[in-house]
Amino acid sequence: MSDFVEQCRREWKRLGVPDPLAEEMATDLASDLADAEAEGVSAEEFLGNSVFDPRSFAAAWASERGIIPVPSGRSTGRRRPFVLVAFTTLATLTLVVAALLLATGQPTVSLVATRAAQPHFVPSPPGAFVAPPGTSRQVLLHTDTAAPVEWILLLLAVFALGFAAWLWSSWGRTRPPTAPA
Amino acid sequence: MLDLCLLAVIDEGPAYGYEMTKRLRDRGLAIVGEGSIYPLLGRLERDGLVETYRAASNGGPPRKYYRPSSSGRVALALGVSEWRAARDAVDAVLAPVKIEVAS
Repeated sequence: MSDFVEQCRREWKRLGVPDPLAEEMATDLASDLADAEAEGVSAEEFLGNSVFDPRSFAAAWASERGIIPVPSGRSTGRRRPFVLVAFTTLATLTLVVAALLLATGQPTVSLVATRAAQPHFVPSPPGAFVAPPGTSRQVLLHTDTAAPVEWILLLLAVFALGFAAWLWSSWGRTRPPTAPA
Repeated sequence: MLDLCLLAVIDEGPAYGYEMTKRLRDRGLAIVGEGSIYPLLGRLERDGLVETYRAASNGGPPRKYYRPSSSGRVALALGVSEWRAARDAVDAVLAPVKIEVAS
């Protein structure tokens, strides 16, 4: 059971429990577990289901003692994943769209329809292909400026996904533990 | 209710964590099905219902002993009184019930 006590120690350290108090609780717990073992009482019989969740056990003990703040704002705890899910989804969609645009090359060429009667009066940008004359004409514009936009989108999406991953990791570390009954 | 039971067993004499669970178990009460006594003891300590001190145990390391404070004794007396009233009320409701065991 020393592993259980060690995990409790780590959790107390992470939660900012002062070292002397953490040491006191760890010592008491280790001594009690040793007594229980000596009398043939299993850790599960002694600690109940807490034995499977040392982090929650340690946090509940410290918060009930008033050493750390009691987790509050459960609604915030529920809302945060929703916001995170929405943010992650948006970032993922942006990444997919940017990747598709880059793969297909669609936005690098845009089709511009004009209604000019005299095609030769319409100034054509360099590199544009002028369609045969008619009542209307179409000019294929090589919009070179579109390419950076796709790359910017892609980079933004990658950064956003990285940020989302960090938020998820942070939320996983700080979410309120479930207090044992 | 479990708080009350813990106060009751340490009112018999100061005890440390594991000792309390033994006293409860000896009376047929295994309270640790879903948790443990430590958070409960922590709450009692925070609320000033117990006093603690360290003393050597039988050959082992110094242990943290718990005993009820004066507030704890008041809380115990009130809790026992409320429990008995509730138990009597439930008994009054259940007393007329005839139990028939189908064979």
